Order: sequence, then structure tokens, then C-alpha cells
Amino acid sequence: MAKQPSVGAEISEQELVRRKDFLEFRDDDLANLASINEVARRYADSVIEDFYKHLLSFEESGAFFRDPQVLERVKRAQQEYFLRLTQGNYNLAYAENRLKIGAIHERIGLPVKAYLGMYNYYLRAVATRLAEAYQEAPEQARSGFLSLMKLTFLDIGLAIDTYINSRERTIREQQEAIQELPTPVLPFREGMLLVPIIGLIDSQRARFLTEQLLGAVRANRAKVVVMDITGVQAIDSKVGNHLVQTVEAARLMGAVVVLAGVSPEIAQTMVTVGIELGRMTTVGDLQSGIERAEELLGYTVTRTRTRSQVTQ
Amino acid sequence: MTDPGEVVVPIRADVDVVVARQKIRGLVSDLRFSGNELTLIATAISEVARNIVSYAGNGEIVMRVIQRGQRRGITVVARDRGPGIADIERAMKDGFSTSRGLGLGLPGSKRLMDEFELVSEVGKGTEITMTKWER
Amino acid sequence: MRASILKQNRFLIASVQGSMSDADLVELRDELASGVRRHRSTGVIIDVTMLDVMDSFAARTLRGVAQMVRLLGAECIVVGIQPEVAFSMVQLGLTLEGMTTALDLEDGLDALEAGVSGQGNLL
Repeated sequence: MAKQPSVGAEISEQELVRRKDFLEFRDDDLANLASINEVARRYADSVIEDFYKHLLSFEESGAFFRDPQVLERVKRAQQEYFLRLTQGNYNLAYAENRLKIGAIHERIGLPVKAYLGMYNYYLRAVATRLAEAYQEAPEQARSGFLSLMKLTFLDIGLAIDTYINSRERTIREQQEAIQELPTPVLPFREGMLLVPIIGLIDSQRARFLTEQLLGAVRANRAKVVVMDITGVQAIDSKVGNHLVQTVEAARLMGAVVVLAGVSPEIAQTMVTVGIELGRMTTVGDLQSGIERAEELLGYTVTRTRTRSQVTQ
Repeated sequence: MTDPGEVVVPIRADVDVVVARQKIRGLVSDLRFSGNELTLIATAISEVARNIVSYAGNGEIVMRVIQRGQRRGITVVARDRGPGIADIERAMKDGFSTSRGLGLGLPGSKRLMDEFELVSEVGKGTEITMTKWER
Repeated sequence: MRASILKQNRFLIASVQGSMSDADLVELRDELASGVRRHRSTGVIIDVTMLDVMDSFAARTLRGVAQMVRLLGAECIVVGIQPEVAFSMVQLGLTLEGMTTALDLEDGLDALEAGVSGQGNLL
């Protein structure tokens, strides 16, 4: 049951049935497609030629097929595809193959609009050929064409799924990468550490942060840690408790934590959770945090230049 | 016959508490636990082993590497035939970061591990099962 | 017996090992008590650098030793709690409230020299 996950988007038997139902793709469509199969085979080559001439005549789409080897390969693959459309047996394997093809196009960066434009050209080209071939039996041309349209829309749906799936995967990976960015623990002055926290903190990140921080206290022999949460919008009670635990653990190692950038919302959360803010050293902004830390460590900062002297 | 993935430490005196928490490090050496997590596990073992000594007099700690699907973990069972815990609910209750006085350290041990189960009957004894999974 | 007590000027430094038994700890406490009296020490450092696990029993014991030392008129500072141990302790709810702590022996000695203000940390 385990399939190669290389495509990402997958489809189940039931889903395939559901989609065919929705497109009203039924047994008579199978018959129609079978009946135009011969004609389709005959015009395959010329449709391909016209098709690619059309593609290459446009700057944007032509760019993807500059390389003659690539073009040959793609033409052959496309021919196989077109022929396949009328060969019947539109089962799960068929659908999975479509997903794979969609993934390949998405990977080379072909935009959805080009993909759709290609299908559009193909359908129009086929409509013309069918009308020519079935001049004596226009009804057959029409029903063959409509069945073909249902099938190609099934294919388009699958192809677009792979595009969406790929986008979603990228977004997910980026989100994970952001979550995993280690919070820097920066030695600032001797005996001081600066920990700027940005973005969402969840329990896991908070725990990891505590580990990092405590390790840094030992490595840098820090006595004061300025933890800046200016960039944190809100925290829940679990994270609030983690913060308190961090402060307590640091104290066990002889260090004081100055919590800077506590917004009114976060202060409210902490009070609600029952965290005694009185026992923690909190300040409103980063500058105050650093100044407080410097004070504790016995540093005095003196300014000896005016603004204008800075860039002289 | 104990299976090779299992370590049994009889707990009869305070020195055995140290033995139990030292044994755990050997057992989990090839599992993916950080230094922090190892200390958490050893601390939880220390707490429950200590309870056995203090309240039951003797018992045992059984440590076993387990696997669930792709994940591996460590399960620690602390059992004794001591007096049992009369009010389990009370024993498991405590405030989050209040300083702790005397007590069984059970809520704390529960916090240190991923899974925690306690079965106790007055006059029969107590059995605690705790598990920690690789991340 | 795995505790050692060193004297440094007016201070005593006691190292606690993880492998110490209850009896060892009682012995340590008694030796510290007599040491403080004998040398008229003004400060005691309890160095737990080698302590792999601090459980509630160990924390209670430490608190007891610190109380005793203070009753004898000396300051008491606990040093050397390792990051993993500190982390586990707060998970367990052991905050050693009221006890003075420092990073290591060096800081502990500095604190004693500077004159720790009694309960809790300098800052």
C-alpha cells in the first residue's frame, strides 16, 4: 500500500470515482472515446506539430522548450499523452500517472496559465480535426469531443492538485524552518546575555530556549540575562509557566533574568495565570532591560559625543 | 528470565536509589535522548525510588526500552508492597510552581515524563509506570 | 564516604557527589557543623557540581544543611547546579527558595568575600 511519495499529491479510488461522477463521466463516454480512437491516432502527429509551433511562438512559454533535446523528449511524451486519452482504462494508475506529469511540469516551473493554455489549444485543435473527420456524422464528432472534454478536465483537475500540493508543502516547510530557527543567545557585555525572542513561542520552543539559555549561562558565566519579548504578541499559560521556570532555573545557576518588552497583553496573561510578576524583574522595553542589567553588573554608560560628531 | 532490554533494580535502602538512576544511563545510551532528558528521567526515577524506601521499605524498579512503531522510549515501573496511597487524588495534586514541602513528588515526576500511571491499593502496595519517548 | 570539606580562610567548601548515601549526607552535615564551630567560619559553600540529579530529598537535605549553617552564624551558598539539573529541578518544582546560589566556586567565593546579604541572592 505504501506508494512512492515523490509526487506528493495522491488520489484514492473513491476520490477518483467521485470526480468522474461530478464530471458525469460514464460508460457512454468510454464508448465515445473508444470510437474516436482511430481518428485521434491519425491526427496525433499534426496536432503535436501545430501545438508546439504555437507554444514556441510565444516568448514566455517558448522559454521552457529552447533546448532541442528537451523539445524532442517533451514532444514524444506529449504524443503519448494525447494517444492515451482515447485508449480507455481510466483507472487509478491513469490518475496517478497524470499526477506525476503535473508534478514534473510544476517542478520545471511551468505556470498554471501555460498549462491551461496548452489544454485549451489541444481541445480546439482536436475539435477542428474531429469535425473534418466526421463530416458525415457530426453527432459522433460532437459526442466524441464532449467526452474528450470531460476526460481532459479530469486531467486538469489532477494537474492543478499537484501544483497546489506543491505550494502547500513549500509553505509548510518554510513554517517549520521558521519554528526551528534557534533563538540566538547573545553574549552582550561580560556577564550579560541577550536573548531576543521573535514570533510565536510554543511549549516546545520555550523548552528548547530554556535549555539553550541555561547552557549559555554556564558557558559565558553570565550573571544577568536580558530576555527581550518585545517581538512576542501573546503567550498562553503554558508558555507563561515556561518563562517562569526559565527564570527560576537561571537563578539556581546564580543568574538573574530581566524580562524586557512585556506588553500589557502579556502582563495580563501572566497575572491571569497566577504568575507573580512581583517576583520577576520585568521592564517595558529592551533599552530599559539593558540599562537595568548594566546597573546590576555595575556598568556606567557615559556619552562623550553629540549626534553630529558621530559621522564626522 | 529477564530479557536483555530490561534492567531490574531491587530497592531496599537509599543507596539503591543511586544505583537505579545510574543504571538508567547505561540502558538508554543508544536512544536519542538529550542530556537534559536523561537528567529528567534519572530525576523521576530518583523520586519514585526514594518513595519506595521511605514508605514501603522495599520494592523494585524495572526499566525497559520499548518501541511503538518507529519511536523508541523507556518505561520505568516502580512497584512495592507497601501501605499504598489512601488519597491518590490528593497525592497527585499540586500547584504549578509553588515551592514544595514534604510530599511524594508524584505530580513532579509526572511532569518530568511523557506518560505516567499510578495504581495503588491501601494495604496492598503501589505500582507506578512512567514512560518517556525519544523526540 | 564521598564528601570532602576544604577550608579556605574563613570559609568552608563542601563538595557533594551524586553517589552519596543518606548516611554520607548526615555525616557531611555534622562535619560542617563542627567545622563551622571549630574554625569560626563565616561562610560555607556547598558545591554540587558533581551532583547528577537533585530530587526532592536532596533539595530538602540541602535546605536542612543551609539552615543549620545559618543557625551557627555563617552564610551558606550553593554553587555548581548544572543546566540539566536546574532544568529538572524547576520541572519538579524545587526552587531552593530562600537559599543563595551562585554559578560556581569562583562566584561563590566572591559572593562570600563581598558579604552576601543573608537570604536569597545578591541581586
